[in-house]
Amino acid sequence: MTTAPARLPLVRGSDRVIAGVCAGLADHLGWPVRMVRTGMVVAALAGGAGVAFYAWLWIMVPTADERAKHNAHNARRPASRIAPDAATREPRSEVPAAEPRRNRFVGMRYGKEILLGAGLLLAAGILIARLLGLDVPLGTLIPVAAILGGAAIAWMQLDETRRAGLVDKAKADQAGGWTRLAAGLALVVAGVLVMVSGSGSWEQTWLALLSSVAVLGGVALVLLPWGLKFWRDLETERAGRVRATERAEIAAHLHDSVLQTLALIQRRAGHEHDVVRLARAQERELRGWLYRDPGKEAGQLSEGIKAAAAEVEDAVGQAVEVVSVGDCAMTERHEALVQAAREAMLNAARHGGGAVAVYVEVTGGAAEVFVKDRGPGFEPESVPVDRLGVRESIIGRMNRHGGTAAIISSQDGTEVRLRLPVSAGTTAGTAADNGEVKL
Amino acid sequence: MNHADGGTPAPGIRVVIVDDHAIFRSGLRADLDPSIVVAGEAGTVDEAIAVIAAVRPDVVLLDVHLPGGLGGGGREVLAGSVPLLGSTRFLALSVSDAAEDVVAVIRAGARGYVTKTISGAEISDAVRRVAGGDAVFSPRLAGFVLDAFGTAPADIAGDELDRLSARELEVMRLIARGYSYKEVAKELFISIKTVETHVSAVLRKLQLSSRHELTRWAAERRLL
Repeated sequence: MTTAPARLPLVRGSDRVIAGVCAGLADHLGWPVRMVRTGMVVAALAGGAGVAFYAWLWIMVPTADERAKHNAHNARRPASRIAPDAATREPRSEVPAAEPRRNRFVGMRYGKEILLGAGLLLAAGILIARLLGLDVPLGTLIPVAAILGGAAIAWMQLDETRRAGLVDKAKADQAGGWTRLAAGLALVVAGVLVMVSGSGSWEQTWLALLSSVAVLGGVALVLLPWGLKFWRDLETERAGRVRATERAEIAAHLHDSVLQTLALIQRRAGHEHDVVRLARAQERELRGWLYRDPGKEAGQLSEGIKAAAAEVEDAVGQAVEVVSVGDCAMTERHEALVQAAREAMLNAARHGGGAVAVYVEVTGGAAEVFVKDRGPGFEPESVPVDRLGVRESIIGRMNRHGGTAAIISSQDGTEVRLRLPVSAGTTAGTAADNGEVKL
Repeated sequence: MNHADGGTPAPGIRVVIVDDHAIFRSGLRADLDPSIVVAGEAGTVDEAIAVIAAVRPDVVLLDVHLPGGLGGGGREVLAGSVPLLGSTRFLALSVSDAAEDVVAVIRAGARGYVTKTISGAEISDAVRRVAGGDAVFSPRLAGFVLDAFGTAPADIAGDELDRLSARELEVMRLIARGYSYKEVAKELFISIKTVETHVSAVLRKLQLSSRHELTRWAAERRLL
């Protein structure tokens, strides 16, 4: 394999008739595919050299996917960017991974059909030849055909196994694969037997079968421990690789988030406000990453409130602690509740001058949000009419969506209570009593 | 109760700080009130059990996540100090929000739970409260309790351990909303002592309840 620097790596391409060898070769050499294919056919006719060469390349040359996987694996092994050249050392073909896979399935199917058609044509040709009175040595042709067919089936299976990757293969797929492999093997063995025993009597065939099975069994017995050991080593290595990948992912995440933030904090050490904000934002991000619940679906009310709290924290630099009990899916009305709560949090963080406590409770009847701060407090009645914050964004918004809002303020702090009944208007009356009782 | 917000004042409360970060221990030591004496420190499970048995403090400030021992963290320290649970009280400290961590140490016998981000004054107050025999609930722990026990009050006397009474629910809700005990008392027109009684009752239920819903709730969060 010549390795001029500008040359594409030798991989089996996605545009394939049988196994993509010609396409890959053409890409690698920079020749037209058609020419390579013609050359291969001509070579195949010249005493079968092309067939042998093709088979050899089929076995030895990886597919584009396999190469990409291999490269990705190599590139990921160093935990950080200490050795970034690992990924760039080999020029990678820029095909996205999913694309060629689909194409290859298509190519493979056509390849099978073409092979089947060729086989049928061959059979028809032989029959016609026999009808015309030509002496066709069926005794040798049938076993040879059986061997070739069996080998083809088994090899296609091998190729498929490699394609799917040993790891992520579905079990059902595997069962089918084994059947095909067994069928291929049986065909080849039968063909070889018939050929060797010279299409002789059944007794001879049985004898040959018995002896060959005995020999195979003996070889298997000897090789089995080696095979098992090899398999186990492979398993161990794979497990180690999975661990290493996981580690690398964690390292990469910590590098991108925590270390960057720590560096920023060191540089801004003089600005208390900035430091607090950075630390809070980082804490939130890390918590989200560590404790995220994959089973929990997105678009829940508590998520919306937490996102709003995060926004306020970032904007004002004051801690906003959210405690939630129960949850429900967000609707348009809940969106309004979140917006009102966000406004309340913003006010609390700006004027409260301390940590803000947010409590979300969703029960069968209603969704409630409480926003509490320990600021100096204010008189809700004394807020000027033109101040949109409280009047419009909180109370007005809640009323428009069939909910209620109450603001309870004293010198010990302020609490905004928001309530949104499940269906507009049903429990609004009691909610108002509940909310306004302390005003 | 004439003492404003702190439960029984016990000058010279002796505490042991158990945390694997030396920086956090020294920071906490500096933050605590002068009335609280740090009698010992420990950084691992085994150290903690030994120090607590030797010092016999009033209160142990116990980090939930600790190295050493069998890997059980704060829960293992509690399990190893069972003979002392009558005289020594444990207050769990954690940076973790995970329900399983918090509820596990409470069920192992801790009298309260606070997050590490709270101020020195708040933590001193919590230590005094725990030393006085009361329970300390952070808003988040109150949220967990409401989540686990459900927000419907008990109606039948038979399931006393498995449900919160209407009053206990009210108290838990207010604590989850960020109210201090004093504010809860004012809001509900009851004395602080009554609030403390309710909170202690909830703590007892949280520790003793075998309620199937609590089990299911915990299982969903991969504990027990």
